[in-house]
Amino acid sequence: MVRTIITYPTPPSVQYGTDVRFFDSSLFELLQDLKDTIEANHLQALAAFQIGSYYNVVTVKKEDGEFLELINPRLLSSSGSITSQESTAYFPGLTAEVTRFETISVIYQDREGKDQSLKANGAFAVLLQRKLDYTFGSSFINKLSKEEKKRFEKKLEFGSDVAISESCPTTFKRDYLQKASKAAFVIMFAMIVIALLFSNDDTKQNLWEYQLYGSYFVVLMQIVYIFYGQYEGKRYSSCTSCQIGNIIGTAAIALFKLTLIMVISYFLIKP
Amino acid sequence: MARVVVLGGGVSGHTAATFAAKWLGKNHEVVVVTPNSKWNWIPSNIWVGVGQMTKEDVTFELEPVYKKAGITFKQAKAVSINPEGSESSVKPFVTIEYTGQGKAGSSENVEYDYLINATGPKLNFGATPGLGEGSNLGEFTVSVCTADHADHASHELQKCIDKMKKGERQKFLVGTGHGMCTCQGAAFEYIFNIEHELKKAGVRDMADIKWISNESFLGDFGVGGLHMKAMGFAVSSRIFAESLFAERNVDWIIGAHVNRVEKGKVHYELLDGTMGEETFDFSMLIPPFAGVGLKAYNKAGEDITSSVFAPNGFMKVDANYAAGSYENWKASDWPSTYQNPTYKNMFACGIAFAPPHPISKPMSSPNGTAIGPTPPRTGMPSGIMGKTVARSICDLILKGENAPLHKASMAEMGAACVASAGKGLFNGTAAAMTIYPVVPDFEKYPGTGRDTDYTFGEIGLAGHWIKHILHYMFIYKAKLNPGWTMIPE
Repeated sequence: MVRTIITYPTPPSVQYGTDVRFFDSSLFELLQDLKDTIEANHLQALAAFQIGSYYNVVTVKKEDGEFLELINPRLLSSSGSITSQESTAYFPGLTAEVTRFETISVIYQDREGKDQSLKANGAFAVLLQRKLDYTFGSSFINKLSKEEKKRFEKKLEFGSDVAISESCPTTFKRDYLQKASKAAFVIMFAMIVIALLFSNDDTKQNLWEYQLYGSYFVVLMQIVYIFYGQYEGKRYSSCTSCQIGNIIGTAAIALFKLTLIMVISYFLIKP
Repeated sequence: MARVVVLGGGVSGHTAATFAAKWLGKNHEVVVVTPNSKWNWIPSNIWVGVGQMTKEDVTFELEPVYKKAGITFKQAKAVSINPEGSESSVKPFVTIEYTGQGKAGSSENVEYDYLINATGPKLNFGATPGLGEGSNLGEFTVSVCTADHADHASHELQKCIDKMKKGERQKFLVGTGHGMCTCQGAAFEYIFNIEHELKKAGVRDMADIKWISNESFLGDFGVGGLHMKAMGFAVSSRIFAESLFAERNVDWIIGAHVNRVEKGKVHYELLDGTMGEETFDFSMLIPPFAGVGLKAYNKAGEDITSSVFAPNGFMKVDANYAAGSYENWKASDWPSTYQNPTYKNMFACGIAFAPPHPISKPMSSPNGTAIGPTPPRTGMPSGIMGKTVARSICDLILKGENAPLHKASMAEMGAACVASAGKGLFNGTAAAMTIYPVVPDFEKYPGTGRDTDYTFGEIGLAGHWIKHILHYMFIYKAKLNPGWTMIPE
């Protein structure tokens, strides 16, 4: 079956390669899909990763038209270096200059699970290295030099992060809790203004009580924010490395604002 | 009054003994049998090996600490176990041979109610011709496995630095000295600490540094590699390691079984069956581990070693040793209580228990040589196992024989590892990694077998600070200073 090749800017549906443990019909089906997809798209090779499978499998169409199936391949040894213009199906129509090993030795298993090895050099070695990188969840971009990466990224409409990071939400549900706190702050600030207009003690007593209720509400919102925020942060742990720090920092700022409002209220409102 | 005998005073044994003594109180006895008079914080040995710490910084005398904790200390090595007792004794006992305390060479039978085998490994240098004899390090390479080895390594390293300062180019080869080694992490830390020190000494341009290991890909670390989420990127440990090696200009040989060492040269076989050799001026090769060679006898005095211990000399516990080939491996093969299946009052933890199979994919060369990392059981998991076993035994003693055992399977356990890549307050670096679970559970987490939300890593200066703080924290804990129980394993 011809499968859809995942192309930029769709993030790869899987991020990690894993070894094949069972040499059964599902593996043979995957190998057939890879061959069909290579034929249909006139490609030289495909890693299973490129059609959304997390297995360490690479299929190469050789010059004689036969297919080479590499299951659980490992790049064992290498020598020399070669720089060439490369393209990959993930970035259709784009090329980049990449430096790789000139000669490599690869060990792998065939469809029967038997250990095999091969030596490759030149263009074939470059092709295998590019596919092997995919089987370990790396991307084409990881192999570019700093300068080449900058040049390549300019050609990408959405930057390079989309290719390797998981889809991150731009807003979090926890932000609604901060919005509620901000609304409470506006009301509490309005209470201070009203208190300045009315000098009646009874009114001030009522306003002070409202301020107290408001402060309880904000404190409660912040406690919920800290715990819910941590839960939500763990679900998107790859999006940012310091979410927990941000959550605590945001809560601390809100509580500082609350303290300020309550101190002002104490002197201006409390009868 | 019950007696708990702990064989070994390393991370696992020391943790088990100290917690058991705390939980059992004065009504029961805890005995530690260990051939060394000092406790060694092994992770810091790599810093001794590059002259950044002294032997004294990473060790302390055990006797005063055990005295404080009310633990009976016997500086001796265990020779054999009689789990059924003998014809003249009903109680099971361990035969020990003293190595210190003024009784060196003399033997004693120590009876026990419960036994914890936490002997750690025998450093099997003898497995590779030229690497050493038996458990003794040979003359051609150095090691960082013990504080003494590391101290020796540091002096050898200094000699190389002196030569480079005089304009003599030097070649460094660091890694594993056999196809079935574990502890790639220690060699990984050591090679980058050497690189860092050479840079500091201003002789980095005079050195060729090369890595040699039995991993089938860089970054396997004996756990089949890991996938780390860091700074918004998903990085395989292979990509992470390759980048680090390339950045520091360190070359590598992988999938290698070192089969012979001679002066200035190693011979190796690769996973594709090819043979090679590599020269060196300085080489640190980790030896393979084996059991310490404990024997076991039944009541009649017949040798039952093969039923108590696995062929590699590690003690059998509640693991599935009949899992078979790679595709049949399951998370449930791994032990959770560490209790010996035959003798229920015997437990083994840390490196001393026999793992059911490796974690990394098993591989062999066309010549039939098995080349692949054996599973690591050191550091954090080792401490957790020790504490769990101690808790189980304390419950059996205090709550009765039917008390349920506590569990700590490596397939349900996470681990944190901080691998130093250079020591320095402002220019040090270390890779901090967490992995969950240590043993992949392919049924629970299809794909990699791990929960990638809890498997992450970063490298940087902060990692080094953490590593340095951990050094002081764990030595503080091991010395049983106030609040020691609050410090996690």
